[in-house]
Amino acid sequence: MKYISHLDLQRTCIRALRRASVPVALSQGFNPQPRLVFAAPLAVGIEGRNEYFDLFLTSFWDGTLLKQVLQEQLPAGLEIKATLPVDLHAGPLSALVEAALYVALFPVFPEEYAHILTDILEAEEFIVLRAGKNKGREVDIRPFIYNLETKKGSDTTRLFMLLATGSRGGARPEEVLAKFPGETKTVKVYRENIFIQNGEALITPGGEALQEYLERLRKS
Amino acid sequence: MFLSRIKRSIYLFLMEVVNIYMNTVDYQSLLDQVQKPARYLGKEINAVYKPPGDIDLHLALAFPDLYEVGMSHLGIKILYALSNNIPGVYAERVFAPAWDMEELLRTKRLPLFSLETGTSLCAFDLVGFTIQYELSYTAILNMLELGGIPLHSEERKKGDPFVMGGGPGVFNPEPLAPFFDFFVIGDGEEILPELLLEYRRWKKSGDAERRSFLRQIASIPGIYVPSFYEPVVREGKFAGLKPLLSGLPSVITKRTVDLEDSFYPEAFLVPYMNIIHDRAMLEIFRGCTQGCRFCQAGIIYRPVRNRSISRLRELGKNIIAGTGFEELSLASLSTSDYPGIEELVDALNEEFKDKDVQLSLPSLRADSFALRLADRVQKNRGGGVTFAPEAGTQRLRNVINKKITREEILGAAEEALFSGRNHIKLYFMIGLPTEKEEDLLGIAGLVREIAAVSGKAKKNKRSSFRITVSASTFVPKAHTPFQWEPQISLEEIKRRQNLLKREFRSNRKVNFTWHEAEMSFLEAVFARGDRKLAPALQKAYQMGSRLDAWSDEFSFSLWERAFRETGINPDDYAAFQPGYEDSLPWDHIDTGVSKDFLKKEHLRAIKGELTGDCRLEGCRGCGLKNCPGIQVTRDVPV
Repeated sequence: MKYISHLDLQRTCIRALRRASVPVALSQGFNPQPRLVFAAPLAVGIEGRNEYFDLFLTSFWDGTLLKQVLQEQLPAGLEIKATLPVDLHAGPLSALVEAALYVALFPVFPEEYAHILTDILEAEEFIVLRAGKNKGREVDIRPFIYNLETKKGSDTTRLFMLLATGSRGGARPEEVLAKFPGETKTVKVYRENIFIQNGEALITPGGEALQEYLERLRKS
Repeated sequence: MFLSRIKRSIYLFLMEVVNIYMNTVDYQSLLDQVQKPARYLGKEINAVYKPPGDIDLHLALAFPDLYEVGMSHLGIKILYALSNNIPGVYAERVFAPAWDMEELLRTKRLPLFSLETGTSLCAFDLVGFTIQYELSYTAILNMLELGGIPLHSEERKKGDPFVMGGGPGVFNPEPLAPFFDFFVIGDGEEILPELLLEYRRWKKSGDAERRSFLRQIASIPGIYVPSFYEPVVREGKFAGLKPLLSGLPSVITKRTVDLEDSFYPEAFLVPYMNIIHDRAMLEIFRGCTQGCRFCQAGIIYRPVRNRSISRLRELGKNIIAGTGFEELSLASLSTSDYPGIEELVDALNEEFKDKDVQLSLPSLRADSFALRLADRVQKNRGGGVTFAPEAGTQRLRNVINKKITREEILGAAEEALFSGRNHIKLYFMIGLPTEKEEDLLGIAGLVREIAAVSGKAKKNKRSSFRITVSASTFVPKAHTPFQWEPQISLEEIKRRQNLLKREFRSNRKVNFTWHEAEMSFLEAVFARGDRKLAPALQKAYQMGSRLDAWSDEFSFSLWERAFRETGINPDDYAAFQPGYEDSLPWDHIDTGVSKDFLKKEHLRAIKGELTGDCRLEGCRGCGLKNCPGIQVTRDVPV
């Protein structure tokens, strides 16, 4: 499923809901659209382990039932992990997203790479060139890199990248990976989860605090 | 000879190794490296997966264009579901690779693969190409070669797939003759199950001779094995095809399915990526009796066959339930002509009243009936409406038998604009037989009149509106009354396009678009081509011609060189103007419509005489046998 675009994924979910005869609410306006909004678009080629969307229905549905009927209509590779009822007045999740945790799997992680990591974290800025409407523009993504850390396993080294994402700007995992020499394009990357602001702390939309989440991840 | 055989066996062995590798490893890594990986992904809702042990016939349904085009085509979806419904048969899809995927396959020496299981094309039993238009011919050769299949039928050996072709393009298959083992003429639903059965019988018999299978199927009505026929030349002139074996039919008659009882898919494939026509299609009838004289579809799909309202309602319901599509398109060649179209629309509206399904009605006539019909299905009336007057003057519309008047067009335009639409799209054709300067100016004149109508509408309703005028170039097609007509020269096409461009330049409401002249020329060359064109086609392919219908891939100079190097003067084909008594390269393909009828229609065209719709005005004597309409109109003089 990582090969389909954000819009493709959205369409796939909407059509699955239609097949399941789930009464999805429509947006207002000239061209009403089903109200299904993903929290944070995922780039083509990156797998998502825990993705979220807000869904508005015209009548109340039991979450377990919804999960079951929708799952039956989804193609292999898309799994509904949980459904949560949300207060109608709560803002859209997409507006709350603060950060995303990406994991890159390195078959080998030489000493040199570890130095590069330290360099990134100690640097004042991290300039990348992004494609603009007419020409590329330079962006400093250092403020968007919240944390980078590695965990060495038996056959791979995992690089955890906690990067800002959402409407206030963010960093992309491939921009960080480009710092490493060699064929980093073939390094497998997935998005582990996204995080929203909860007071001073970051939590998953399901309510787990970032530190506990990371701790659990390091042990896995 | 010996050496090449060694090479070939090594090649086959390599392919086998590669094939195993493909299925397990590298297929994934290819997807990481192309722009739109969803083109090659498969795994869509309603895609079919079968356990390998249950398969005794492996069929590739190949479409010589990109995924987004091929997946918008109804025929391949019908054949996909139909074949996969047969136990033991597994049909998979293969589309033309985009340039980036082709480059990867070539540099990594990997074969072109199927979407479902990543099987290389050469490992299938049968590879069936849907042949839609002339400009896809080089893509066919590219897919064969990338798939590891020898280009020429005569080079294929034991173990190679049989390559077959079907679709409208095979009504003149001659330019493709050496590349195909056989062609299937007519409705696929009718002939494919029979053919598959025959193949399994042959395979089970243990007879490994390709030729004996071909000989066997050559007797099935609707199947044409080109290698069993040879062109006869008398006094330097083509004099028809001669069967090389006894007992072969000298004329191959198309097969026609009984539509109401025929198979129609309900489990339509639901693509992930946005394709050209991302919606479900409900074919309401096949065939058309309007009788436009340039139109090949109007001849080859005769007779008109309707599906009943009750069947369509049932199909529509199940298709939407099984796919979740938001839109259901009522497909046909001329939707207004469906008897009971209003009842059908009402029945479907009733079926989908709580389902948020948009019905769409393409191919409507340019009249107020059609507009009212469109209003019945459109939830918001804005948006556009499309009319196809085809020609700018009444005289020329009579020549082509397009039965619509200036008053009807203007009336419909007015109604469209007053009912809140803000966009009118008009289709015209330039270079039609007998076209003169005044006919071209007539296009501009008609558009100006429509613009004036929309000026009135602007004051009343809309603040902005657009008129799009699209001018394609007439391409004489085989099996039409205009098959004896030449195409105008390339220079003349450009001159007439420029004339229209000048006419519309100062009109800011009008957006004028035209088809690339060289593409229309090439289409004309192959539409009435013969076997002598095959080497030129192969040359153009080898020099790098691909996906010619995509203008950014199209290079005419390359084609010019290919023609030159193979000793072909393309003008001899595009400007071909045979006599009525001459044998034509496609005469052995029988559409059921007599050549005599086409000739009469051609003569009427020159005189500017209209020919009525046989469903309304009685049989016109087109020669079709077993026409269901004949009983109804038996008493009408022919």
